[in-house]
Amino acid sequence: MKVIIADDEALARQRLRSLLGELEGVEVVGEAANGKQALLLSNDLTPDIILLDIRMPLMDGLEAARHLGTLEDPPAVIFTTAYSDHALAAFEAHAVDYLLKPIRKERLAHALDKASKLNRAQRHAVTQASAPIGNDTTQSTHRARTHISARIGEKIQLVAVPDIIYFQADSKYVTVRFAASGQTGQVLIEASLKSLEEEFAGRFTRIHRNALVAQAHISGMIKSKEGHHEITLRGIPDQLEISRSHLSAVKKLIALHAA
Amino acid sequence: MTTPDTTSANTKLFLPDFCDVRILFSMVILAELLAFTLTLGNPTTHAQADWWSQLSLVSLFIQWVVLSSALVLCVGRRWLNLLDNGKAAVAAYALLLVITGLASEIAYRIIHLESNSTHLEFILRNLTVSGIISALTLRYFYVQYRMKQTIESEARARLQALQARIRPHFLFNSMNTIASLTRTQPALAEEVVEDLAELFRMTLADTREQITLKEELDLCQRYLHIEELRLGERLKVTWNMQNLADDTPLPALIIQPLLENAIYHGIEPLPEGGAVYIIGWQDDGIINITVNNPLPPQHPNNHRAGHGMALENIRERLAVHYGKQGELLLERSDTEYQVRITFPTAQKEP
Repeated sequence: MKVIIADDEALARQRLRSLLGELEGVEVVGEAANGKQALLLSNDLTPDIILLDIRMPLMDGLEAARHLGTLEDPPAVIFTTAYSDHALAAFEAHAVDYLLKPIRKERLAHALDKASKLNRAQRHAVTQASAPIGNDTTQSTHRARTHISARIGEKIQLVAVPDIIYFQADSKYVTVRFAASGQTGQVLIEASLKSLEEEFAGRFTRIHRNALVAQAHISGMIKSKEGHHEITLRGIPDQLEISRSHLSAVKKLIALHAA
Repeated sequence: MTTPDTTSANTKLFLPDFCDVRILFSMVILAELLAFTLTLGNPTTHAQADWWSQLSLVSLFIQWVVLSSALVLCVGRRWLNLLDNGKAAVAAYALLLVITGLASEIAYRIIHLESNSTHLEFILRNLTVSGIISALTLRYFYVQYRMKQTIESEARARLQALQARIRPHFLFNSMNTIASLTRTQPALAEEVVEDLAELFRMTLADTREQITLKEELDLCQRYLHIEELRLGERLKVTWNMQNLADDTPLPALIIQPLLENAIYHGIEPLPEGGAVYIIGWQDDGIINITVNNPLPPQHPNNHRAGHGMALENIRERLAVHYGKQGELLLERSDTEYQVRITFPTAQKEP
């Protein structure tokens, strides 16, 4: 059984590693200090189980589990936490298991045992449960993600939300256009613009039925040959059409950013 | 009395301390006002000369009664203290009437006041006036006493509610650190247990307890010691304390929560960590402590819960202990957060 440990505290990882070392048939294949690292590691190492600390910098355990859930065949997730708070309580009912620190060896063994017996559908159910479902979830779990994940084969590609320039929807997918460290790129995700708009309210603005644009990346507005308005963007030559119904709101936004 | 208050023997009795010059002075003023009122209300004195001599006589008499009552109550306070307030009230009332009676008797014998009243009439009239005024005065003292009690117990309850708390997260993470260290570095594990014990002893202690600035800063060091082990390289702390009066008394755990906040909101969410600056200086009898920490990039709708609760708690505790001299000020930019608290070196009554 291949296991990845994710915790931001070195001593906490060390303890888990030594506990796991005492269990039979368990191999610790990697250690991560935050959720993002854990995802990247799991891309390379395809673990069976990930032990995820809930509170971690950059990307917390709940969000990492959510991204893992997009995989065809996700690893089983076991959460670890020092103190059961609201985020966990909302999730409890669906968890493979969650372990309270300091973790007991027997509890750990039990959780691993349980996790190893889950089939793929059940593992999906677990990771899906940590994602907010509709609008009826509590505020504590309904938080904006720090990254957007796209599935490429059996790997997860992560795009940090501040790097995203716009989302554009076509019939089935949403294109995520981004620029990171001087390079631009795009990935396809399955999502609705409406849910993205809600999740990242205040950061992205709707300019058209099919497009959401990062406010921070808007540079201006031009009028095209066909006579409609298009938005220009920082760091990318793309121009997107602004629909008539969103025109005045976009104008205000540009004026605000220019001021 | 049903209040189980036993804070000090002095506040148990509802009567003020008549040995106190301020109390005595206000009694003299009250007595004079009473003399004035009585003389003014007397229809038999029309002529001005008459009126003044009447006032001086009445004043003399009333001051005599009041001062000797005060003297007796001052001396008898220790004895009255042994009684519960109900009995003490009866005793004091009886005492006042006896003193009035005696004074009236003596006054009647020495100076024959108006001739149009008999001996008995004179005594009875004085006793009646004294009886009414004494009852009112005692009642006033009692109400005042109850009011003070209520205010005090409310302040105590408020302080109790403001009891400094350490985040449960920190407790359990520290336990985990200990569990981890026990295997590899038992000596270090032992230190963490000692540090943690000190911190929690203080958290569980009585809120009214004050410690010195030095003790508080020691606690901060112990707290940071644990956090440094937990966070490793990610936490850097820079101290700069400029000749602070080490023995300044202050409520326990008024600085430590600032560091805890700085680490919880500032250092932990940063993958590379950062530096916490703690700076202290003294200026014209006022101690200033600032705690400065970096802030992680903000997500518009993603903030950690509980921010501000700990600060509000400290703000209130400073206000309760120091009044206007205890302040908590915030300064934040996109990348930095700074809290400053101020309190006086010599503590004045709140």
